[in-house]
Amino acid sequence: MKIVNLVLRVIIGAVFIASAVAKIGDVQIGDRSKGVAPTVQQGDAPKNWSVPIGRSHVMKFSRVPDMATFAQDVANYHVPPRALGNLVAITLPWVELVAGVLLVVGVWKRASAWVITALMVVFLAAIGWALGHGYDIRCGCFGTVDARRVGITALAEDTALLAMAAWLAWRLED
Amino acid sequence: MWRNVQRALVIVLAGAVLGLAANAVSPRRIPYLTPPKTPPQARDTVTLKEAQDLWTSGKTFFLDARAPADYAAGHIAGAVNLPIEEFDDHYSQVAGMLTPDSPIVVYCDGLDCDLSHRLLIKLRELGYHHVRLLANGWTTWHTAGLPTHTGDQP
Repeated sequence: MKIVNLVLRVIIGAVFIASAVAKIGDVQIGDRSKGVAPTVQQGDAPKNWSVPIGRSHVMKFSRVPDMATFAQDVANYHVPPRALGNLVAITLPWVELVAGVLLVVGVWKRASAWVITALMVVFLAAIGWALGHGYDIRCGCFGTVDARRVGITALAEDTALLAMAAWLAWRLED
Repeated sequence: MWRNVQRALVIVLAGAVLGLAANAVSPRRIPYLTPPKTPPQARDTVTLKEAQDLWTSGKTFFLDARAPADYAAGHIAGAVNLPIEEFDDHYSQVAGMLTPDSPIVVYCDGLDCDLSHRLLIKLRELGYHHVRLLANGWTTWHTAGLPTHTGDQP
């Protein structure tokens, strides 16, 4: 059982870290020959790190995260009161990051699993809310790199993640 | 149990503090509270009649701010798709057609739709001075029986 818990911790932790990094780092992936669309606005110096993926593609991290776009993704769900949308967009990725890192390194792992489970419940409720209202909106699940719309796929993924997180929240030792 | 609740709260608080700090130092920081939605001003909009005249004159660019799938399902004839939600991916293809002085009409669909207003704001930031908005554009236009196209081409 310990090995199952370890594997689940690494999976869930990695998903949360990746999701946080995608939001915080404004990750874009694109064809190297065409260049990656600049998300840095006019007037900003280009502040990007690029990591090649294979021969033809490149992943770009912005050192200047595009907070406004993610905030819009959050607002489109119409779940948090409109005024609080920005606050959610500012803080949420960092909560994901802290909880994900703690879960992987094994410090306060049960408490981290609780936080992650609670977040998954909120995410699922938000996706269900959006689907129920027929909103055709960008998921925002993995920041702006993730152009997927809210739909059944996101619902299924998040349900699987919730099941794993809930297992950990229940079974992990402190 | 209680200890884990406390720890969970610490995790959430630590994340929140980091996020607030990161936003505070970011050159692209956003306000902590979302500013209230400002509807487009009357001077930023065109009526259907004006839009029709501009369309007939042939000198005005019509930009559809909706997602590509909605655009393909039906759009104002000659309108180019510039989805605000995927702006950076599409702008480079559209930029070549426009000059800062180009007359532009943006639209989306539905009275609640703010995609075209966001596109208008974005284009003005980029230096296009003559951008106006046709409210509830797609519905208004096609229910008036004006020319439309389907597919991903203008």
